Amino acid sequence: MSGKNKSAYPFYIIAGSLVCLVALSMVRNTFSLQHYTSRPLDMLADVRKDEPADSTAIAVEIPTDTSAAISPADTVALAGIPDPDHDHDFASYTGILNYAVHDTAVSGLEHFLSALNELKTGKRKKVRIAYFGDSMIEGDLITEDLRDSLQILFGGSGVGFVPITSVVAGFRTTINHTFSKDWKDYSYKELPPASIPLGMSGHTFVPGESSWTRYAPVHKHNLDKFEEVSLLYGPASGGNISVNDKQYALSGRAPVNTLSWKQDSAHPNVNIKWAGGSSMPFYGVCFEADNGVYVDNYSFRGISGIELGKLSKQIVEQMQTEHPYDLVVLHYGANMLWKPELTDYSWYGRPMKRVMDSLRNDLPNTSFLVITTADKSYRKGGNWMTAPGVPALVKTQHELAKEHGAAYWNLYAAMGGEGSMVQWVEGDPALANKDYTHFNRQGAAKVGALLYKAMMDEYKMEHQ
Amino acid sequence: MIDLNKLLETLLYSKKDPILFNSAFFFYFFAVFLLCYLAAARSKRYRVAIYTIFSLYFFYKACGPYVGLILLSAIVDFNLSRWIYNSEKPGFRKGLMTFSIILNLGLLFYFKYMNFFIGVGNDLNVWHFNLIRDIILPIGISFYTFENLSYTIDVYKREIKPVDNFMDYLFFLSFFPKLMMGPIVRAADFIPQISQPYELDSEDIGKGMYLIISGLFKKVIISDFIYQNFVQYIFDDPSKHTGLECLLGVYGYALVIYCDFSGYSDMALGIARWTGFKIPPNFESPYQSASITEFWRRWHISLSSWLRDYLYIPLGGNRKGKVRQYINLWLTMLIGGFWHGASWNFIFWGGLHGTALAVDKVRIDAQKKRGGAPAGWKGTVLKIGGIFLTFHFVCFCWIFFKASTFHDSWALINQIVHDFQPEVWLELYNGYTMVFWVMLGAFILHFLPKRSENFAERTMARFPVWGSIAVMAFFIYILVQVKSSDTMLPIYLQF
Repeated sequence: MSGKNKSAYPFYIIAGSLVCLVALSMVRNTFSLQHYTSRPLDMLADVRKDEPADSTAIAVEIPTDTSAAISPADTVALAGIPDPDHDHDFASYTGILNYAVHDTAVSGLEHFLSALNELKTGKRKKVRIAYFGDSMIEGDLITEDLRDSLQILFGGSGVGFVPITSVVAGFRTTINHTFSKDWKDYSYKELPPASIPLGMSGHTFVPGESSWTRYAPVHKHNLDKFEEVSLLYGPASGGNISVNDKQYALSGRAPVNTLSWKQDSAHPNVNIKWAGGSSMPFYGVCFEADNGVYVDNYSFRGISGIELGKLSKQIVEQMQTEHPYDLVVLHYGANMLWKPELTDYSWYGRPMKRVMDSLRNDLPNTSFLVITTADKSYRKGGNWMTAPGVPALVKTQHELAKEHGAAYWNLYAAMGGEGSMVQWVEGDPALANKDYTHFNRQGAAKVGALLYKAMMDEYKMEHQ
Repeated sequence: MIDLNKLLETLLYSKKDPILFNSAFFFYFFAVFLLCYLAAARSKRYRVAIYTIFSLYFFYKACGPYVGLILLSAIVDFNLSRWIYNSEKPGFRKGLMTFSIILNLGLLFYFKYMNFFIGVGNDLNVWHFNLIRDIILPIGISFYTFENLSYTIDVYKREIKPVDNFMDYLFFLSFFPKLMMGPIVRAADFIPQISQPYELDSEDIGKGMYLIISGLFKKVIISDFIYQNFVQYIFDDPSKHTGLECLLGVYGYALVIYCDFSGYSDMALGIARWTGFKIPPNFESPYQSASITEFWRRWHISLSSWLRDYLYIPLGGNRKGKVRQYINLWLTMLIGGFWHGASWNFIFWGGLHGTALAVDKVRIDAQKKRGGAPAGWKGTVLKIGGIFLTFHFVCFCWIFFKASTFHDSWALINQIVHDFQPEVWLELYNGYTMVFWVMLGAFILHFLPKRSENFAERTMARFPVWGSIAVMAFFIYILVQVKSSDTMLPIYLQF
């Protein structure tokens, strides 16, 4: 080759670097530096023979036998109530499983279903659900559809509880909600001082000098007007507010107090303004009618459910007096799956057990429903697949439900089990977002419908 | 250790992973190609044959049986152009050219727009047809159709002489570096280079190396990274994000689409350069533009100049009065938008750019009357303001370009206007630290003067072979560390 013409250079460069990289691929080429582990380089990945050892490393064996984790005394079913685990595999059953234990007054959905029946037969006026969850239910996702279906069958109109301010107000389509920026928002993330209790939603709001919040109905079935409105507030010592320009002095001293009014049909909106006086905490506003079913959406982004332990006994008990619940739903999962291949969830099960112990204790006559994590995919070797942590977490959540005599609904199984999130994301129409974790509106509507159906299957079995 | 079946499988077309410049397969392909090409370097005929065979195989790897389309259109256009050129009867020539245009656009229309128009007709109750199932847009068709058209039209206008050798034409059309995503190359620029001997100097080596490395860097390290780790979440569900996130998402997308497309173009240019072909640049730091007119001179240059020569000027250009000129500009951009895909979003996007170009024309005309742009500090302020304004207008248009529906576009704009929530910045920064640094770095790189590019090219030109090998191998190792395991198809592959 002449010194001038370098036409062979591209070949030298490409072939040379290829040889280097292939040679590197032949040897172990990963290294770790503190928290960083380099990815392996393998120029031959596409043509290598599959090594069987590799694939078994991902699939973690998850024993379905749960007896080891639970003390024998807890698992003895009440006389006459069969253990549903004898008939169904909790890991794949798509309906609701009702568990019972000795020391709790109500088991499974029993109380909730009979409350629904009493409502249907005119023996009671309201049935309320406290639906706790994380970002999966933000903006009234899932709860909106569940509420709508229940209200069609059992009556009621209104969105239930709405906090004073919300990061997802703009996203929520079941109410128009605007507010001033000067509310002080205490929450699980920034706990209030000892004198101020933390509200049931995980938030407590303290007004600034000119704080206000405004709610307007939306053009949707059952949500197009306000009827019975109640403001939930904390211990007051002489605070004043105006509601649609009408002045109120708030005097309740309990951890939770209610100021209720019938909405004047001439004023469709609710304008609440802080009108001075001694500073005090507020929780939110409830929109209901004088009877029917209500689903309160208690969403809190980024939490796992353990945070509910920060709710005081006083708040929970007082709430049950002012605004009683017949069913508490605990719907968590996405935030425990930050390490997709982690399959030991005892670190979650232990503190969550304490949380459920105390909630169960504070609300002895309320039914509990544990909803498992949804499917969540992660990328492995170029493909999206169900994180091994998902079935492991489902198992832990099942133990929690069984130990506490709660009802249990396996959302992962109801979605379709392994690999379902991939189908939900890639389906047409898409039902979930590209993070392979969150549902979009259509997906949430589908989950709401699945949950409603599961509940109604139980209801029909008991009361029809 | 090597599975022969798998090896065979990777050599065949797979719909799931078409060949891309940033795939490992291409690396092997390129090495084998260069070896064969080098062996054939002394004879033009063999060179063309080798390059064409590898190009057709490349195309087969990209879109399977549709490789037939390019063969077919090469045969048809090669012969039509010769007949046009050799005939002296104006009517016959015109007829043949019209036939060629109808054939080429018809092909494009069938694959790209058929279902769109069936749908529009159904919605308006003009007709009722079922959508045609299983139409897949053959990769590259939007690009090579335009190349065929410009060739036939140039021959018709007797601006160029048609090629004598069919292989030369097939080679021009199938030339693999630009086959899938452009740039749209003109036959007049390309064909003369075929007969030149294959010789490279150190400038060619340095420039090619720089283009390949910077192209990979833009595509894999900037574009794919920002898109996968941030931008896609925003556009997936804009109403779930704060205005600040949405705005940053739009800035991110501006980088994503630029780095994706220009990165791929750079790689094409670099590969072409290394094999002895010079293709004019397709992008010239477009976000440095101080006006929308300038932007379109720097963005996807091969398309905008094609539209100028074969659409805007035939429409009358600026020869039929001011009003007609504005309308022509607008219409050209509207059609340019439609070229990107059969959807109202693209049409609206094109319409926005067309309107802006027409308005900018008014400004330019007024400025000319006043005797040119102001100089001194006033000029500098105007220029900076212009860059800021142009960038934001282009970003605004990207919202419609990217969002899957109008509803999503408005939802995103609504978030930015009504729900900005600047107080979340720290939380956001902590969540996307790496992404934001990459974005900042990318913007800084984009605004570096041309000098720095030249410097990098000259430096690479001076490397000894082993130095180049070390740099390339090290760079690819870094790419593997950063790149997402998902194959990210280039955005312009869909157009």
